[in-house]
Amino acid sequence: MARVSGLLLGMFFTFTVQAEEVKLDFVISDGLDSARPVAVIPFAWKGLAQQPSQDVATVISSDLRRSGRFNPMARNQIRSLQEVYRYEDVNLELWKEKGIEAVAVGSIEEQPDGRLKISYDLVDVFQREQEVRNGELVNVNRNRIDTWAIIIPAKDLRFYAHKVADRIYEALTGEKGAFATRIAYVSVNKSLEKPYSLMIADSDGYAPQTLFSSYEPIMSPAWSPDAQKMAYVSFENGRSEVWMQDIYKTNSRRRVAAFEGINSAPSFSPDGRKLALTLSRDGNAEIYVLDLNSQRFSRITRSINSIETEASWTPDGQSLLFTSDRGRGPQIYKQNLASNRAFRLTWEGNYNASAALTPDGKTMVLINRTNGIFHVAVQDMETNAMQTLTETSLDESPSLAPNGSMVIYATVYRGRQVLSVVSTDGRFKARLPSRQGEVKAPVWSPYLN
Amino acid sequence: MSINKLGKGLVVLASATFLFACAGSDDSSSQDTVPVVQEPTQPTVVTPPPKSPEELAKEANDAARQARTVYFDFDDDTVKAEGRTLLEAHAWFLSKPENAGVVVEVQGHCDERGTPAYNLALGERRAKAVAQILMLNGVQASQIKTVSHGEEKPANPGHDEAAWEENRRGVLVYEG
Repeated sequence: MARVSGLLLGMFFTFTVQAEEVKLDFVISDGLDSARPVAVIPFAWKGLAQQPSQDVATVISSDLRRSGRFNPMARNQIRSLQEVYRYEDVNLELWKEKGIEAVAVGSIEEQPDGRLKISYDLVDVFQREQEVRNGELVNVNRNRIDTWAIIIPAKDLRFYAHKVADRIYEALTGEKGAFATRIAYVSVNKSLEKPYSLMIADSDGYAPQTLFSSYEPIMSPAWSPDAQKMAYVSFENGRSEVWMQDIYKTNSRRRVAAFEGINSAPSFSPDGRKLALTLSRDGNAEIYVLDLNSQRFSRITRSINSIETEASWTPDGQSLLFTSDRGRGPQIYKQNLASNRAFRLTWEGNYNASAALTPDGKTMVLINRTNGIFHVAVQDMETNAMQTLTETSLDESPSLAPNGSMVIYATVYRGRQVLSVVSTDGRFKARLPSRQGEVKAPVWSPYLN
Repeated sequence: MSINKLGKGLVVLASATFLFACAGSDDSSSQDTVPVVQEPTQPTVVTPPPKSPEELAKEANDAARQARTVYFDFDDDTVKAEGRTLLEAHAWFLSKPENAGVVVEVQGHCDERGTPAYNLALGERRAKAVAQILMLNGVQASQIKTVSHGEEKPANPGHDEAAWEENRRGVLVYEG
């Protein structure tokens, strides 16, 4: 696994030249008021070569800010306070005065073979330094709540900065971070000979890489759980067909479904052995499950005239959520694959579609139409209460980060289709506009090892 | 079987409609030509021989078939009345024995509202609704190919009501 991910990183960092193509543009939201103040002190550079162009502390700070949970202190303000790189040297009183909860320090050390050693410590400013043990007051040093050091290829520095951000996020929230992940999306640029491209970029939009370009539309990309493959819909033969492609092997595309009618909406099972998809080969659009080993298709839904599509797996792999208009207008249903019994899950509004569950299975993310406006919404699976997350209209294609904290989706902003991000609690929102053309169909990768 | 009979009936009805429409245009065209013939300075203009009812029907039909798009309401696959009339004109042409070899691609399209995968299925439904009307009017199933483009190929790239109206459509693609 380590070898594979090393190769994987190598491929991505060859493309850093294009890093400026997709740029994050932050939208102020109410959520920032409650964001926790932290500081990431610029990492010290120890080496003969020129300091790396990727500024680790900036990457980490941007990640933390983008989560909506943290409000990292501005760099020049940090510099005026204290610039240290060892946790022992962090002046707790100084940071306490500024109301900073936690301080990250670290260094990057050049190795004789050219690789880099990243070392980092996280200091909790308000952690008590003394506590009562067996009736006695004793000194304990628990300020350092996380520490990590790793030697990495120099070109992977930026990715490991995201890994540090993941560690800080987990140490301070108790939840796994999802910054060292990627997003896939479709870009449409009519000025190109092949206007449609399936792209993969870092979770912050950097280092975009083209996986496949086409003269005809591309839809519905889906990651395999091991993040090695993508399934998607391609119109390269004049109509919708489902294709699968190895992300890290060239010339590895293969056609998975090209029956009469539509072939669409692929979704990998959590164990990666099956692919749910929509086929209309028997008349109307129905959900099927393809066993990727035996290549056998099993039909899951059996309706007469309705549309059944957009299957997504429950985290346990036992059931599918999908969109069906069997009850006039699209609504979300859940069907157990063993009993084949389906239940309707959504009752609010006359258009609910594109549903997926958070990894803990407690929340459903979906597209809801209320008063003619399409929003990303969440529904509590226990109470069925629905909450709208976005203020944008024309939202579509919501996709959850692997830790369930954020949703990336496509929407229209100032007359252009763009990608946006919203936290699952709706408090934080950000946009990822593309410099050229339009972007859509975003999907967040699983955790990358 | 009964659908077939109904189809033939509709073709006859449609032909009658065209004949009727052409009778009117014949009148006006003959009136237009009168002053030209009487103009003494002009070289002699030969009045074309009167057109047969079949030719006139064909001309009217050719003109009607210039339009190849029918429109739909949001999240709906019902072809509207004016679309139905247009499809009958196409069916009149496509169902002629000499056109039995013409294959028509029926494309179903949606506006951008709603989710792309649902719209792909909705686009297929629209294409099939169009195909159904063609078949009811005598076009053979073997002459029709349906394909859905969902919301992926808008006719108007805008993001407003006017664009959406243009984009919720069924399109007939064939040569002739």
